[in-house]
Amino acid sequence: MSNIIEIKNVTYNYIEDEVEYTAVNNVSLNIEKGSFTVILGHNGSGKSTLAKMLNGLNKPTSGDILVDGINTRDEENEFLIKKKVGMVFQNPDNQLVASIVEEDVAFGPENLGLDPKVIRQRVDEALKAVGMYEFRNSTPHHLSGGQKQRIAIAGIIALEPECIVLDEPTAMLDPKGRQEIINTILRLNKEKGITVVLITHYMEEAEMADRVLVMNDGEFIADGTPKEIFKNVKMLKSVGLDVPQTTELLYALNQNGIAVPTDVLSIEETADAIMHYLEEN
Amino acid sequence: MSVLQVKNLSHSYGGNTPFINDAVNNVSFTIEQGEMIGIIGHTGSGKSTLVQHLNGILKPTKGEILIDDSNIWDKPKEIRKIRSKVGLVFQYPEYQLFEETVFKDIAFGPKNMGVSGDELKKRVLDTCRLIGVKDEYLEKSPFDLSGGEKRRVAIAGVMAMRPEIIVFDEPTAGLDPQGRQEIIKVINEYRRAFNATVIIISHSMEDMAQMADKLLVMSKGEVVMFDKTEEVFKQGDKLREIGLNVPIVTRVFDRLREKGLNVPNNVFTVENAVEALKKIKAGDRNA
Repeated sequence: MSNIIEIKNVTYNYIEDEVEYTAVNNVSLNIEKGSFTVILGHNGSGKSTLAKMLNGLNKPTSGDILVDGINTRDEENEFLIKKKVGMVFQNPDNQLVASIVEEDVAFGPENLGLDPKVIRQRVDEALKAVGMYEFRNSTPHHLSGGQKQRIAIAGIIALEPECIVLDEPTAMLDPKGRQEIINTILRLNKEKGITVVLITHYMEEAEMADRVLVMNDGEFIADGTPKEIFKNVKMLKSVGLDVPQTTELLYALNQNGIAVPTDVLSIEETADAIMHYLEEN
Repeated sequence: MSVLQVKNLSHSYGGNTPFINDAVNNVSFTIEQGEMIGIIGHTGSGKSTLVQHLNGILKPTKGEILIDDSNIWDKPKEIRKIRSKVGLVFQYPEYQLFEETVFKDIAFGPKNMGVSGDELKKRVLDTCRLIGVKDEYLEKSPFDLSGGEKRRVAIAGVMAMRPEIIVFDEPTAGLDPQGRQEIIKVINEYRRAFNATVIIISHSMEDMAQMADKLLVMSKGEVVMFDKTEEVFKQGDKLREIGLNVPIVTRVFDRLREKGLNVPNNVFTVENAVEALKKIKAGDRNA
């Protein structure tokens, strides 16, 4: 598979109170087309800084980021890069611009100067993709947080991006809103083949990814499938992260002499692992 | 001794208009001194409207609130006094920081209550020590702190008033796991130091399992359950009906029971779960 994003020796420094800090420290990595990647890391680990570099909102201090082969430093292709990689942020209220849902979703495609018929079609498709078509004539501020966040995602989908980067899109939502967003993201990835990069603090959301990256002090310290990553309870806790409660249970059982496997994640698999252990012993 | 009584409380928004909406409907409950109460319910169930009545920010449409056996609206002009007894920490409290320095921000509440001079200074410093705000931060601008630190300063501002009852509306929302644990610790410290009554609105059943003595469950403006945490989490089906759930570890145990394993139905933390399974393992050996 080819790569939609290539990160090559990227460093990002910033200056605060005349002191230089390094937010991202010489990172190299590729993101495959069509993949679903989750980035974990505590606040201040460099995740968001990295995310903003993926579509050129931030430019690396040194090193390069290529989006579909195009360098994000290439100013002539700035719009093309932003069209290929869309960003969704934490607070839905800060991302909506219009007073009617469908007008909000149309904002991006209108700015691309597309034909009105094409815009209509894209807006309808985008709203259907996030399950918000029936709300197309509503006012965003009458919607729930999860619904508003889905409108923000639809605004990105309408640009037909190849990749969506979501920076803690569920942090301000309740469990129902969170589930709506996760289902939407999964559908876009599995059905439309859109590459997803999701930054989150919710370990349950990471369980669904193909690949999990762990960031700490501006560097990647782990890279693997969710099962491979969550097995490493000590490492995750040492960098201020948590594990899903299923993993925590299996880990605690092991420490108490009940040797169940620790590389399972779902409730069903966890129950099976415990049953299996009790039957054998 | 009951510290807080809510009697037949109703609140309607948009009264006298066609858009009248009952956010809280005929709610009654009693909370004892020193209890830690969790309020759970999906968005729009009336949780935030309910807690805003507890320190007189909202006035009941019907019903009454009794703190230490007196109705808080008996003397409406003195309603502000109730705010030093009942502290309310809103969602994302860090957005409400406004002073030039951390010290001034934390001092704002107690100062308004009439605390001054050395006593004020001591209040602020004691609170900072309690919740782990370092002395060197006191002269900094609160806007120069990290997200988690800002939240602790905002919480310190309410704690510095030394309320007997302190209410938190989703205190850990938007924080990373370490930040969440720090806030939980701070809440426990305050409770222990002042034998305070704590009320927390949360969406995390796992956090509630760890912290709350009792859970008050809301749905559509009504209290549908108010019982010991353990008793509430035994009713998974009822919780799921109203869009909530039980902790993940409880769901694992529900699954084990469905598979025919004789496990207890009051497991809702990892510690409980490990104990229960150790017993089963030992039991099997004896058999």
